[in-house]
Amino acid sequence: MLIPVTLSLLEGMGTTLKLFFLTLLFALPLGLVISFGSMSRFAPLRWLIQTVVWIIRGSPLMIQILIIFYGPGLLFGLPLLPRFTAALVAFVVNYACYFSEIYRGGIQSVPRGQYEAGQVLGMTKPQIFFKVTLLQVIKRIVPPMGNEFITLVKDTSLVRVISVYELIWMGESYIKKGLIWPLFYTAVFYLILSGILTILLNQMEKKLDYFQ
Amino acid sequence: MSILEVNHIEKHFGATRVLTDISFSLEQGQALSIIGSSGSGKTTLLRCLNFLERPDHGSIAVKGNVIFDANDPKTQLESEIRKKRLHFGLVFQNFNLFPQYTALQNVTLARELLAKERGGESKESIQQAGEELLARMGLADRVGHFPHQLSGGQQQRVAIARALALHPDILCFDEPTSALDPELTGEVLRVIRSLAEQKTTMIIVTHEMAFARDVADQVIFMDSGVIVEQGAPGDVIDHPKEERTKQFLSRYAND
Repeated sequence: MLIPVTLSLLEGMGTTLKLFFLTLLFALPLGLVISFGSMSRFAPLRWLIQTVVWIIRGSPLMIQILIIFYGPGLLFGLPLLPRFTAALVAFVVNYACYFSEIYRGGIQSVPRGQYEAGQVLGMTKPQIFFKVTLLQVIKRIVPPMGNEFITLVKDTSLVRVISVYELIWMGESYIKKGLIWPLFYTAVFYLILSGILTILLNQMEKKLDYFQ
Repeated sequence: MSILEVNHIEKHFGATRVLTDISFSLEQGQALSIIGSSGSGKTTLLRCLNFLERPDHGSIAVKGNVIFDANDPKTQLESEIRKKRLHFGLVFQNFNLFPQYTALQNVTLARELLAKERGGESKESIQQAGEELLARMGLADRVGHFPHQLSGGQQQRVAIARALALHPDILCFDEPTSALDPELTGEVLRVIRSLAEQKTTMIIVTHEMAFARDVADQVIFMDSGVIVEQGAPGDVIDHPKEERTKQFLSRYAND
């Protein structure tokens, strides 16, 4: 029994991992763009972005998944997105909003004097961002980002509401057969994943320890 | 011809007027000390020269070229300001070194970026110039140290080398020793003094009266955003004419 259970859990794990990495791939850069918008000197853009971030962060991810999957069809009679794609869009938008706030906190915590020192040395704004502030921002945001990554691992289970077969779905399917241990086994999969993430993030923190 | 001419500079922050009708000039190779109590506008004046603040009135000319005129928007183009900043160097009160770079990298970074844009200098020659500058600051054995591994006085000397690396026409100091422990101010003041002896054109905002008198060719006393008195240090510091200058200096005499 162990081998077929392991195989089906690994299959669910594949979907979970795909969702996890694709979400990071798109949400990390998108979050940075959103954070610039939320700090814009152009007030209407700032308000717009802040409102969007409030709505996305303030409502359940599960509702967002359902709306993105069923919404286009029910509202405009459009064809449904493939289930996984709909889930991915919901995750990217949701996590990008959370990331944007972490970026904003990181960027705003770099002292003004760092920008000014770059300016009086004749650097351009992009040069100041990439050569001076970015690494300082990264150093500051690694711990809160780590939290989000681990939450993301576990949030992937929400996609089951639109019948994307991920890890927990697979584990749960054995309950109907009267087996509870595959569920514990499923939890172990999550623990291993978040364990690996924790180690990687700790290493990153240590790597950036060379400056203060 | 003066290297720097500041004419009728005025600056407001909202309804508060922080600088009123500031005019002075500076000759090549001279050092100017600006003294005055906190909030008198000294730092804002330096920040105006470095384009960190934009004056509401007045003009600034370097070597006879008007680089800023509040009435002429053409002198305020963002793309030009970057180049014009390079006439000035600024050493901050809190050093503002880049924490992720070594002392040497702090000194060379901006010059390397400029060289990449304009071509010319090789990376090696910039590195060598940076090492020489740090050696002049007495930091030859600290080139590979990160800012957090250096004392405040050493950090400030790295910051001076960083400003000098771009060969500014005028080097500005904004209370360079105010963030330092008293026993560390000496090493920074010594470096500035030697720069003065080498005829570096400088503007020094400072609370060190004895230093201001020794090192400066010209002293300006500011209060509430206006220049109350200016002239040779022997006049302004030793024989002030204005009541406000006398009052200010007497506080230092009692220390």
